[in-house]
This record gives sequence, structure tokens and C-alpha cells, in this order.
Amino acid sequence: MAHITANFLAESPLSSRARDALGDAIDQGWADPRKLAHSSAKARILHEGAIASLAQSLRLRTDEIEILGEPALGHFYSIAGLLRPQDALVHSLVDRKEVFALAKGRENVHELSVDPSGLIKTEELQALAGSEGVLALQVANGETGVIQDVEELVAHSSKLRIAADFSTAGTRVPLPSRWDSAFFDSRSWQGPQGIGILAISNGSQWRNPLPHLASTRSPQSASLPLLIATAVALEEWNENEEFEKERLRGLTHELRRRVSTSIENCDVAGDLDRSLPHITSFSFLYVEGEELLRRLEVAGFAVDSGSACTAEDLQPSHVLAAMGVLTHGNIRITLHRDSTPSQVFELVEAIRIAVTALRVP
Amino acid sequence: MKELNCLGMRCPLPIIAVGREIKSLVGGETIHLLADDPATELDLRAWARMTGNQMEVSGPNEFLVTKSKVD
Repeated sequence: MAHITANFLAESPLSSRARDALGDAIDQGWADPRKLAHSSAKARILHEGAIASLAQSLRLRTDEIEILGEPALGHFYSIAGLLRPQDALVHSLVDRKEVFALAKGRENVHELSVDPSGLIKTEELQALAGSEGVLALQVANGETGVIQDVEELVAHSSKLRIAADFSTAGTRVPLPSRWDSAFFDSRSWQGPQGIGILAISNGSQWRNPLPHLASTRSPQSASLPLLIATAVALEEWNENEEFEKERLRGLTHELRRRVSTSIENCDVAGDLDRSLPHITSFSFLYVEGEELLRRLEVAGFAVDSGSACTAEDLQPSHVLAAMGVLTHGNIRITLHRDSTPSQVFELVEAIRIAVTALRVP
Repeated sequence: MKELNCLGMRCPLPIIAVGREIKSLVGGETIHLLADDPATELDLRAWARMTGNQMEVSGPNEFLVTKSKVD
């Protein structure tokens, strides 16, 4: 199957270097680094080395980093650690469902609209200038790849603490000039599944939001071998990033151009100039998304959809809805570092054939 | 005004039905659409933007869809 998929976060294979590191770490880093035995001391050195490597790659201090063995909790840790009972929680309508879940039942919640290109309307944030609380700032959207104007949003949030979500953006977008917590997912740099990195800025008022006795900031239960593989994967990712991001941007540009010119009535979510270089969301008028997925799967492309007919709750993607993009006939495409031009051209042709066959009127 | 009852249909069927029906209209003519799928309003707005036709919400699960005068 060609290596073009739907879900950047879940479907990137480990590089051979990260896989080797994982294997070695399973042999050497099995002990609990917090204990006193010789094997634990060895594990502790490996742990400290991985944290130092991550800190350098992410441009953080080592004491700002917490490792989470359950990345799905990262959004909660990042935001809830900053949130006080009376605080306003401000987030966008294209934010992750985890953030909506956190906001559910709270009284002081402000949802920010986005414009048709997926960018948060800063005037709505300006209107909240006096509010104290937390801005849940999704740096880049996982469905569309749209990158927010982070510095401008931060500048308009002077009384808000910033919980920045880098789970999709990874290291492709720099940390803002002011932030309180930031969350990264190892999968955004093709690291292993199961490692989240919570960064807590020195001086921030973040507090562990889960019940705890000792002064720990996280459960300290993440797998050491996975952590080491995460650090190795990030080093490798950063080594090639300058070249790869331009290559992927060129490929995605060609993908968008070819699809838009060869298939009429196609809605593309967001501008590539304001998006991550590898993510695209297309919607095709008069086409059922589920059947489109099936046909592309048969053609060897495992893409995904935000259409209502493919969702468990039969609701269309809230991201597409907020942007005013067509919600049916939707596919999300992610190019990877090993995606080739010929795979992209084959995908375009497969989409054209499938849409032509399925389009009804 | 043409009536189009798409109640009970899941998206994209109401939009497909509108797309079919609009072909038989001349510019300026209107369809009265009944549709209760939650995605209908979203997709009808996107459809109008993409095709140059007009739509408005005329009541709960009711829409007025007007064919553009310019082809």
C-alpha cells in the first residue's frame, strides 16, 4: 500500500534508527530509574539522556519537561493544570474534541469562531481582553493542517495563560514568545505511539490537576524504551526537516493543484501557505464520503474522512462545519516523508476515477 | 415554487436531490426544500458558495434554494 494516509498522528511508521533505539532500550532500560539498584542507575542515565536530548531538540529546559505515558491525557494536563475554578476557558471552534470535553459543564467558556480559511477571528479574542483564564491554543489543526497566527493570538491574550497544543504541529512551528504549558505528541515527528511531552514553562502557575500526594507533576509511568525511541526519532526528524518540509510542501501543492484542476466542484480546506506542508482536506460535491473511502482503499490509499456518514455519531466534522467547508464527500490526506511524486500522481488519478464514478447528479 | 421533500434522508442525499432538481429550473426560480439531516444547512451553504446559487433558511428544517440567473 502506498504510504499516503489519513491520520498523521496514528499512522507513521518508526524510522529504522528509532526502531533500533527501541530494541536496544528494551534490553538495557527495563528497570525503574527511580530505584537504587545498578540496573536502575543505568536506566536513570538513559532516562536523563533522553530528556536532555528532547530538551535540546524542542528548545526547552530539562526541568520544563514531563513525560506522559498516555498522550490522550496531555490536553487535559496542559489546560486543566492552568485552569482555576472561576477562570474563563477560551478555545476555538476547530479545537480538538478533548478540549470541548474539558469545557463541557463549565460556566465561563468562550468559543472563538474561525474565518473560511480556518484562522481564529482575533477580534473575538480582543473582545475578551479583560478576561482572566486560559487560552487553549491549537497551534495547527489535525484535519486541515491550518496553522494559527500564534504570535498575534498570544499578543491579544495578555490576561490569559497560554496552553499551546503542538500535538499536530510538532516542531514544525516554533514555541510562541509567551506560553505557560505546551503539549507535544511523539507521533508528530514519527516517534512511537504512547508518549506525550508536556512542557511547563518555568514560572507558570501550572499545578498537577490530578489527585496526588507527593509533589510530582505527572505520574512518571511512561515507558523508558518508548521515551528513548521518541528522543532518537526527534533528533532524526530535525536533521532532515529543512529539506523534507520543502519537499512535502511541493508535493502537497501539486496534489492540491492536480485535484482542483482535474475535478470540478472540489472544496479545499485552508490555504497551503498557512498550513502544515503535509496535510490536505478535500470535499467533493455530490459524493458520499464513505464510498469514496472504500474505493480509495481498494486502490491502495488508506485515507480518512470527516463526513457525517463515516463518523460514529453521524455528525459531520466540527472543523469543516466551523470553516463553512462542504462536509460531505470529504477525504483527509497526509503525505509522509517517504511519500513519492508518483504515489501522489497515482492518488490524484484514483480520486478522479472514484469521484467521477460516484458523483450522482 | 417547486417542493422537494428530503425529510429522513441522510447527507449528502438532500444536496444531491437539490443538485438534480435545480437543473430543471430557470434562473430566479426557487425550490422549497424540507430536510432534517443536521448537515443539510452546512452543506447547502457550501453548495451555494460553490455553485453560485442562493439559499436561505426559511424555518426549522426548511430552506429556500434559488437558481442563479447567471449560468
